[in-house]
Amino acid sequence: MSHEPFDTLAAAWAVGALDGEERAVFERHLADGCDVCEAELRSSAEALAAAARSVPPMIPPPQVKEALLRRITATGSARRETLPPRRLVWAVGSLVAVLAGAGFTATFVATRYEARLGQVAREAAALRASVQRDEAALREQIAVYQGAVDLLRDPATQIVLLRGLGPSPRANGRVIWHPVAGGHLFVANLPAPPPGKAYELWTIGDAAPQPAGVFQVDGSGRGTYRIGPVAGGQPVKVFAVTLEPEGGVPAPTGPMVMASVK
Amino acid sequence: MATSGADLLRRIAAGDREAFAVFYDWYAPVVFPLILRIVRERADASDVLQELFWEAWQSAGRYDPARGSPEAWMVMRARSRAIDRVRSTRRRSSTFVAPLDDAAAAVPGSERARDAAELAEDRGMVRSALERLPGPQREVIELAYYAGLTQTEIAERLKQPLGTVKTRIRLGLERLREVVQASP
Repeated sequence: MSHEPFDTLAAAWAVGALDGEERAVFERHLADGCDVCEAELRSSAEALAAAARSVPPMIPPPQVKEALLRRITATGSARRETLPPRRLVWAVGSLVAVLAGAGFTATFVATRYEARLGQVAREAAALRASVQRDEAALREQIAVYQGAVDLLRDPATQIVLLRGLGPSPRANGRVIWHPVAGGHLFVANLPAPPPGKAYELWTIGDAAPQPAGVFQVDGSGRGTYRIGPVAGGQPVKVFAVTLEPEGGVPAPTGPMVMASVK
Repeated sequence: MATSGADLLRRIAAGDREAFAVFYDWYAPVVFPLILRIVRERADASDVLQELFWEAWQSAGRYDPARGSPEAWMVMRARSRAIDRVRSTRRRSSTFVAPLDDAAAAVPGSERARDAAELAEDRGMVRSALERLPGPQREVIELAYYAGLTQTEIAERLKQPLGTVKTRIRLGLERLREVVQASP
């Protein structure tokens, strides 16, 4: 049989286009060992590599290299998939030695394993607890968002913008507010309060400011807080946030850091 | 003392991290545009690139200089990982038919692609090797190599007999070899 048909198959194979029965035929032919086809494929691969080099190079995002170097450092020397032959021989040799001392070793290994199994079980339990904590936190967060979405469906719901003042000019926030059901506060860019302090939200109507709750922000300056309805359903004209002692106070004492935009 | 890519791979196989960093600096800028061309999203391309070099770190010991240059070794793997990525993205969302089809539509032979190539040459820019192939040959190679289509799929798409597609692929590759040998 002439080799000619394989030249065409090799070309299609080189660009990944060979399919169906022809692919099976060609791969069997390759597996049987064909110097002509191997040379052909090598030459095509080099040409395609040269084609790749013929377009202007692009520096990839630096994070890729950083991540790779971190990964490599983290794996240390335990990465080898295949040991170099000499080391393999050595490893087999020492395995034989270990087996020779098996009587003693088995007991030793069993004890070690029990200790290790106990440790694994403890680690698994800790992991489960951590997953459960995360799950609870996520459920809580979903409940907040669900509540906010429910409120947004109600035509009586208003959205009130809050702007940062004095000490935190970059802060901003929104209150989704329903006159009867209460609402949700979302803030961003609010710096973490100093130790012992927290942010307190106030609703201001016609009378003195009413405390509406104390909240914290996360490391990125974001916070969400569920606001209960105002006692007696009094209309709210202004929402304000002040910096107060951690436990909250009945009337504002600290600097005002955010207030709703009129 | 000149270092070659093959030397670097030998050192990488022995766990030399510095050699790996140099190897990355040499080859990542070559394979990144290829991966990006296939997967089209920069974030995806960065992922594929990372996996590609991670694999290179792990399997450097299996590189055999007798079977080709390190560059060919990396380019071949880059192309195949990128195609795998596009296929798995496509499988995950049945409504999402791009980017393979996009890539196919955007490619070759199309007037726009040819114009762009000629424009680049007019401006004294280097035309990529594939752009120097005759349109019909370039088209089939690009559909296979960048868009991951098989010869049967290419024949259907172009409404050409399968035999024609096969011939074009073969002639295109032959031409590509001449082109890259003429201007290394």
